[in-house]
Amino acid sequence: MSVDDGTTTGPPTTRPHDGVAAEDLVPEMGTDGTLTEEPHHAPPGTSMADRLRSVGEVVGLYAVCIAIALGLSALLVQATGGSPSEVLSALLDGSIRGPGRIGATIGVAVPLLLVAIGTIVSNRAGLVNIGQEGQLYIGAAFGAYFGTKLGWSGPGVIVLLLVASVIGGALWAGIAGVLRYRRGVPEVLTTLLLVTIAAQLAGYGLKNQWLLLAPAEGRANRQQISQQLPDDTRLPRVTWFGNEFPISAFIAILLALLVAAVLARTVWGLRIRMLGHNPRTAQRAGVAASRYGGGALLISGAFAGLAGGMMLAGGDFGNYTLVPGFPSQIGWTGLLVALVSRQRASAAIAIALVFAGLRTGSGFLAATGVERRITDVVQGLLVLALLIPPALLFLRERRRAMNSGGDRT
Amino acid sequence: MSAQEPATAASSAAVHLDGISKRYGSVQACADVDLMLQRGRIHGILGENGAGKSTLMKILIGLVLPDAGSIDIDGERVLIRDPLDAARHGIGMVHQHFSLVEPLRVWENVALGEAGALRPAEVRERIVEISDRYGLDVDPDAVVGDLPVGMRQRVEIIKCLRRDPSILVFDEPTSVLTPAESEQLFDTLRHAVVSEGRAVALVSHKLDEIIAATDEVTIMRQGRVVDHVATDQVDASGLAAAMVGRSVSLRSERVALGLVDADVRGTEVPDTEPDLAPEVLRLDGVTVRDRDGRTVLDRLDLGVRAGEIVGVAGVEGNGQRQLADVLSSLTGVDEGRVVVDGDEIPTGKAGAMAAGGVGVIPEDRHDSGVVLEMTVAENLWLVDPGRVSRRNVLDHRTMRRTTEELIDEFEISCSGPDSPLFSLSGGNQQRVVLARELSHEPTVLVAAQPTRGLDVGAIEYMTDRLRRTAESGVGVLLISSELEEILDLAHRIVVISDGRIIGEMDRADADLARIGSLMGGHAA
Repeated sequence: MSVDDGTTTGPPTTRPHDGVAAEDLVPEMGTDGTLTEEPHHAPPGTSMADRLRSVGEVVGLYAVCIAIALGLSALLVQATGGSPSEVLSALLDGSIRGPGRIGATIGVAVPLLLVAIGTIVSNRAGLVNIGQEGQLYIGAAFGAYFGTKLGWSGPGVIVLLLVASVIGGALWAGIAGVLRYRRGVPEVLTTLLLVTIAAQLAGYGLKNQWLLLAPAEGRANRQQISQQLPDDTRLPRVTWFGNEFPISAFIAILLALLVAAVLARTVWGLRIRMLGHNPRTAQRAGVAASRYGGGALLISGAFAGLAGGMMLAGGDFGNYTLVPGFPSQIGWTGLLVALVSRQRASAAIAIALVFAGLRTGSGFLAATGVERRITDVVQGLLVLALLIPPALLFLRERRRAMNSGGDRT
Repeated sequence: MSAQEPATAASSAAVHLDGISKRYGSVQACADVDLMLQRGRIHGILGENGAGKSTLMKILIGLVLPDAGSIDIDGERVLIRDPLDAARHGIGMVHQHFSLVEPLRVWENVALGEAGALRPAEVRERIVEISDRYGLDVDPDAVVGDLPVGMRQRVEIIKCLRRDPSILVFDEPTSVLTPAESEQLFDTLRHAVVSEGRAVALVSHKLDEIIAATDEVTIMRQGRVVDHVATDQVDASGLAAAMVGRSVSLRSERVALGLVDADVRGTEVPDTEPDLAPEVLRLDGVTVRDRDGRTVLDRLDLGVRAGEIVGVAGVEGNGQRQLADVLSSLTGVDEGRVVVDGDEIPTGKAGAMAAGGVGVIPEDRHDSGVVLEMTVAENLWLVDPGRVSRRNVLDHRTMRRTTEELIDEFEISCSGPDSPLFSLSGGNQQRVVLARELSHEPTVLVAAQPTRGLDVGAIEYMTDRLRRTAESGVGVLLISSELEEILDLAHRIVVISDGRIIGEMDRADADLARIGSLMGGHAA
């Protein structure tokens, strides 16, 4: 599950282990032809046996970490009075085994993936945008306004709705961008704080009929929701083997591949990566931080906004209606997807599905008598399990580098 | 040259390193190294970059653990696991790079890292005492940030001496000093050794320094000790041959080894006479203030003609870095202007200098020269990706082909265009920078400390390239704190001090004494 671009110029000699099962999780030369992770691979000139051993170490490390995470999860289930095997079975039923559940999982994976690839763009530019939850909400609110308040309907309005949500998300991230590049305020703070403001704003919109609130007829009194999108202003849904999901799934996958290719193969992508890795070299080479960094921030917001629009028009969230709490943690979880896929848009496709599966699976936990929040803990443990190995490898690598480097005399 | 072991028994040695080995991956940094430091003597440790001398010293002060070998101090076997162990055994080191906190006062810096209650009066007293004893003349209440570099090094020395170490290690101590300051440092060292019976190790790659200051010398090459002799029984060319492993003849190589005679007047002058060539770089009244409002470049005027190499000499930290930053579009100027080939270039605007034809080999390539995480090919084209792309999409075939050409032309040793830059050695990374900057056909080339940290072969290559670049009509601005390098390459020499050009002379009129005194800030 990856685009093999950037390496079209020939197989890189430093790629020691094609075909390893956990390949997407193993730090190595990125499939997009750039080094996306801290290097753990053996320095050039070491023997094949050494390399195999180091690959074995990495795979083993992941296996151990994942096993520990699952073991701890099982213990937790046991401690709260549940049966781990029943829980596992329920999770699988809810995410893939039950009829139509794969479709539900895909429906959740779409916005996760969109948020994640936007995050990857800003991460690559060296920016820490953590306000996707808010950008997504604003995007959905913009979309809801154009989808319900203009009184238009039809397929053209779907496009209008999505464009509006893209603009909404970008606008919200753009505020952080202006503060970052005009005033020097760290984007990590502003994007986070803007999440709260986004929720307040959307809430305000849902209280006022001239903004988002649905007309009094057709909703329960004091219910603060938007009007439902008209039937012909919804994303078409396809059915494959009894699994139904919106066509936004294909769009999201295409966008993920597109982002991977753009980052790896275009001048713009080269400059974004340059900026992220070494801003001073980038400045010398003509990459203005405000233009490229600001652009990356806008794009990451745009993707989060698009995720919001797709959620609204796709039907898997809120039943085509903007409701309070509409983002449903998708922004935060998408951030985790980006974190775990570590800057690779193509890897994010698989990771988004895994995280979506945990979420849809948790819906089936009620029958087991186990609190469904337990999956949040499982998810947290899994994230740690997937992030600890690269961190350990990075530390080891750095220790080695510090031991060997610095002979400057 | 035959090794003549000074007749001292191992048991009386202050330090005896025996059979020390250290391996990093495929690189044997130290192989079975023996070294004995005697009390009352200065022991030079000479070697090229990468010969293993720094590793050896790091092992002695506990920064690196050896794979094999033992360390005896005063005849007793010791285990040095970290710098604290080393300090307990009376080993102190003065590092090449300062570790001083600039806004703090001298005494505060000296007291840093001490355990227990802070007693300012005591610390001050001790500083004055040490300062008097060694003639260091350091004011304990001065703010370190206000002190010139030579004085800062004295603060480092006081920091080290305050613990009263019986074994002192100096790592390339003169790289930041004027010639006069170096001389004074060695007087101090001699005093510490002879009158107080300390043992001193002096790590250096400069032959003159070793000959002037040491009693005996150990020469290392590729991790091994190749010779150990009494200093008064060797001459510079013999040491050079032992250090490089072959006889040294090339001029630039001799320069790299610090073998230029003190009296340089009348030695050969580079042939080109670019006096009438058009000026390709002009800095007019360039003033730069740092964030705290301090003036770091002060109405600096400077011109470089086509085909000319202008050397900017000066003690480090006098504005050289900011000068290079201005010419790299990394800093905007507060006043003044920069003109390249007749056109004024806006300063501080991303990429403007590069686009205007200013190539730069930066002082610290990791800071602003390369992107370590990117491939060799990407690093070669990151300044001007337009040449290897079509409609803003990188054309990997062209990129690979052109990269391979440059790899061949500049003899960059790497496993291919797609190998990440961090997998290359420092010298080869430097060649990537050189290849990129020269292949973009610059009008002006700024080379800041271009040979720092390179080994002799790489230095030779670099100086040769710079010379050829000037011959092809490029104006070269060489910023270097290695006076020998400037004397070897430059047609014209300017001296920078406190952000100002305080002296200028043609190579033919240059003499070391005058440059030295200018570097010290005394307008001659």
